[in-house]
Amino acid sequence: MAEYWNISDEHQEEAKTFFMHAPEPEMSLNFDIAEKDFTNAGKGSAELKNILKRLGVNPEILRRIAVASYEAEINIAAHSVGGTMKSYIYPEFVYVTFNDMGPGIENIEQAMTPGFSTADELVREMGFGAGLGLPNIKKNSDVMHLKSERGKPTKLEIIVYYY
Amino acid sequence: MSEKPKEYFHAIHIVSDLCTGCTACVRVCPTEAIRVRHGKAEIDPQRCIDCGQCVTSCSFHAIVPRSDSLEIIKKFKYKIAIIASSYGGQFTEDISYPTAKKALLTIGFDDVAEEAFVTDFMISLIRSYIRENREMRPILSSNCPAVVRLIQVKFPSLLPNLLHVEAPMSILTQFMRERAKRLYGFDDHDIGIFLIVPCVAQVTAVHQPEGTYKRLQDGAFSIGMIYGLVREKLKKMDDFNGNIDTYENGLSWALSGVESDLVDTDDIRALSVNGIDNVINILSRVEDHYLDQYDYIVLRSCTNGCVGGGLNVENPFVAMSRIKKMMKNAQHKELDFSEFVALNQKGAFIVQPLEQRSIMELDKDFKQALTKMKKLNEILIKLPGLNCSACGSPTCYALAEDIVQGKAELEDCVVLLRKMNYDDDNKKGDE
Repeated sequence: MAEYWNISDEHQEEAKTFFMHAPEPEMSLNFDIAEKDFTNAGKGSAELKNILKRLGVNPEILRRIAVASYEAEINIAAHSVGGTMKSYIYPEFVYVTFNDMGPGIENIEQAMTPGFSTADELVREMGFGAGLGLPNIKKNSDVMHLKSERGKPTKLEIIVYYY
Repeated sequence: MSEKPKEYFHAIHIVSDLCTGCTACVRVCPTEAIRVRHGKAEIDPQRCIDCGQCVTSCSFHAIVPRSDSLEIIKKFKYKIAIIASSYGGQFTEDISYPTAKKALLTIGFDDVAEEAFVTDFMISLIRSYIRENREMRPILSSNCPAVVRLIQVKFPSLLPNLLHVEAPMSILTQFMRERAKRLYGFDDHDIGIFLIVPCVAQVTAVHQPEGTYKRLQDGAFSIGMIYGLVREKLKKMDDFNGNIDTYENGLSWALSGVESDLVDTDDIRALSVNGIDNVINILSRVEDHYLDQYDYIVLRSCTNGCVGGGLNVENPFVAMSRIKKMMKNAQHKELDFSEFVALNQKGAFIVQPLEQRSIMELDKDFKQALTKMKKLNEILIKLPGLNCSACGSPTCYALAEDIVQGKAELEDCVVLLRKMNYDDDNKKGDE
């Protein structure tokens, strides 16, 4: 099982603690994402953005969360047979997981390269599939953990801190 | 936290006596600024962006746009009118544009200038701004005051993307003021400069500009009101020939699509969006960095751009068609913008960064906001989800929000109230 980790320097300690023992979130949200449903993909991140705006999260941080979660949601719609997005809101950060039902990523390192895309024609016609999805998620998150293998479900988790 | 909230000027006000409490306005307000409480509509000045949607939606003429009375020009020795470009689209084709422009001199103004005059200069200013601020792309147009205020209240993360340059009518105001001083020797306080505007947002912007270092104009009149006065005069005026310059080429400013076409060039990709709901949708996508391929986005709150403003008299599509025809028939004029260039070099057209006017957060304190959010969700499950607005809040979500903020009660929901009464009656029946 191939894995990819990226943790920003300033959040190493917090991230380690979190993954050793995740506390109960203050709030959680669930969204199902269907295969190739680009009309509804993006609603989960829009809803998350809406709630975080009401909680008064700094606009710049909010934009990072919106971009990272939107890209991940689109990824599920574009590349998998469907999956779920779960958002967990904490007082200092937001933790979002994306689980799909396959078919998995052949080569994670390649998928992380800006411009590389395996998107099919339909996806490209819809204006997606520029090969910037995963690099954008990395750029806009403090913690990114991707676990995938060909023929298996993919799990992506991200954390964005409010500070 | 006890900071006194800034007071906002609004060019819209509600005539309580005429309001029936029907909630039509509550439902159309894009920032959810209106509530019906105790049977009457109320506008939250913090949230209102002066887009004018409520004015159009009211069947009882209870929401009235405010603009200045023409009387105020008498306070000044030298009175200058600046007409917004949509003015040109208001008159039937038997009245020539120069005549319609000249007619302003018959209702008390000493000089008249038009927004269209500065269009070419504006386009070059916008282009160089875009080229100097590539890292901020997409740059968002800042000419529509309702859009600027919308960004302040709902999309504060996009404030840095706004074009930080004065609007064309304000640029023209500065030029005309300097000119009157130089040519006729007037002092600043002798000169009155007034805008003839297509919408309430422009009236608000004249009285309470955002980002400008000082208030530039002395008043704003609605195109509709001026149209009424001018039409009377036109009947008596012989068709006027010559000796007034008009700039039909520049009337594009009233049409959002044409403005973006003009800015668009080899190295600048522009997008045009009009209508407040479309604008909100696009801004949300800009927030997600989904439209970074554009360098410039023209955003106008009204249909087709400023021709759709609520203070015009003509239908936006008819006005647009007339303006397009005028532009087509116009001859190209080489204009001398050297004085504008000089003013620009002195920094006269720079605006300061805008402050956010956050209305979204439930509480200044994150933990408090979180507690309120949880309570909001608990309330939301109880509400019927009809979004009928009968409670006076625009949606069930907004009612839940209002309850959490102590501004409404669960019993305000008529559906719930009926259910509660029904349950009570049943209980009594059982006894």
